[in-house]
Amino acid sequence: MNAPRPTSLLCELTYRCNLQCPYCYNPLDLESYRDELPTETWLRVVAEAAAMGILHVGLSGGEPTLRRDLPEIVAAASRAGLYTNLITQGTFLDDARLDTLLAAGLEHVQISVQAPTEALADQIAGTRVHANKERAIERVMRRNVALTLNCVLHRGNHDAIADVIAFAERHGIAKLELANVQFYGWAYRNRAALLPTREQIERALVVVAAARARLAGRMQIAYVLPDYFGDRPKACMNGWGQAFLTVTPDGRVLPCPAAAAIRTLHFERVQDRPLAGIWESSESFVTYRGTAWMPEPCRSCDRREIDWGGCRCQAFLLTGDAGATDPVCGLSPEHERVIAALGVDGGEPLIPRRMKQPV
Amino acid sequence: MTGTVVPRMSRGVRFHRDPDGSAMLLVPEGIVRLNDSAAATLELVDGRRTLTAIVDALCVRYAVPREDASRDVDDLIERLSRRGYVDR
Ligand SMILES: C[S@@+](CC[C@H](N)C(=O)[O-])C[C@H]1O[C@@H](n2cnc3c(N)ncnc32)[C@H](O)[C@@H]1O
Ligand code: SF4
Ligand code: SF4
Repeated sequence: MNAPRPTSLLCELTYRCNLQCPYCYNPLDLESYRDELPTETWLRVVAEAAAMGILHVGLSGGEPTLRRDLPEIVAAASRAGLYTNLITQGTFLDDARLDTLLAAGLEHVQISVQAPTEALADQIAGTRVHANKERAIERVMRRNVALTLNCVLHRGNHDAIADVIAFAERHGIAKLELANVQFYGWAYRNRAALLPTREQIERALVVVAAARARLAGRMQIAYVLPDYFGDRPKACMNGWGQAFLTVTPDGRVLPCPAAAAIRTLHFERVQDRPLAGIWESSESFVTYRGTAWMPEPCRSCDRREIDWGGCRCQAFLLTGDAGATDPVCGLSPEHERVIAALGVDGGEPLIPRRMKQPV
Repeated sequence: MTGTVVPRMSRGVRFHRDPDGSAMLLVPEGIVRLNDSAAATLELVDGRRTLTAIVDALCVRYAVPREDASRDVDDLIERLSRRGYVDR
């Protein structure tokens, strides 16, 4: 089968991070990624991506600003005509760093906060960072740079959603992403304690609808229903191997940032083969590309080229089979597993994200 | 909308045309594909032309009735500004 043209590349430059968000979707075995790609390999990856027709590059992690060569990578992407988006928690974004990145051609910044108030935010992050982030937000706003504010929502902060919106308003934010926690990596591990309740979601929908009406033309508010509460899955990554690639800090090329969790697949590395070849014909991309791999009920479903059977990583985590229909789908024979998770009341303590894998 | 409005791309939004002719917007969250008529319109959104000027240019280029062009342009700009891609 011919590979479609990819459009977007996510560069996970490092998994190092000074925060310990228990909702982080990064993998649990962070230590196995310590051997980070050198600058010249990232520059080659970016150049190869542009040659493949990719137009959009996200720079993420971990905390991407911990890489000293970030401006160089941004500059290379920018020179190649790629749109550059820095996805950061902002604690290192001082004036000098920000100006260097902007001079390198950075087009958009996304800063995440854990909560609208210092006490709760610092508690979730596991360290004192909120005040610092707020200053980073102000710095970006002062420079008139496109900024998205991101806040990951879970049981512990869902009810603060009105205050998150007020926080964004106070800072003049034009784009707010209220991102319901997705259950991969550390978030999957902490799922029982992170899952919001149905009541929280219902209340949030009311708050969001009112805020959207009130702030129309001033602030875009994204609030996507969490997967577990829907009846049909989302088109994860616009389909496996259809548009997106992720490169991990150690060079693994993934069809989805969460895919390394799928133990049944082998992921090739950019050190071993050009990106285009990996995209077109590596086992991990080919296995679930298109529709031929699909089991029933997907195989004969009208939505098979709309949601592509949902998320492979979620299917693997919930059923042990990455080739199953995403259990989030109401038509999946394993949908019970999602319903069962919703019934669990999470009294369990949250495990903070650390470099060392929890037992 | 009045014709004197000058629409412009929002911050962090960039119009892109591929060598193969296909057009899209590059936006913070990814790529938005554009059909031919949206692309023809957005190519004229440069932060200087008024809506009237954009409609004029489209009428000349595509020999379409003014009323239709004007309605389509208003419609497109309205939709894109609601999504935060165009300021007006
Ligand atoms: C893994 S982080 C890396 C960048 C940076 N360290 C940060 O947190 O902003 C990438 C983005 O995903 C968000 N995020 C992290 N875990 C998530 C999860 N389980 N579900 C949804 N979004 C998540 C973060 O808020 C951030 O905007
Ligand atoms: S989500 Fe939190 S822990 Fe994970 S990389 Fe970002 S700031 Fe660090
Ligand atoms: S059966 Fe498969 S293709 Fe149909 S809606 Fe469910 S996940 Fe999507």
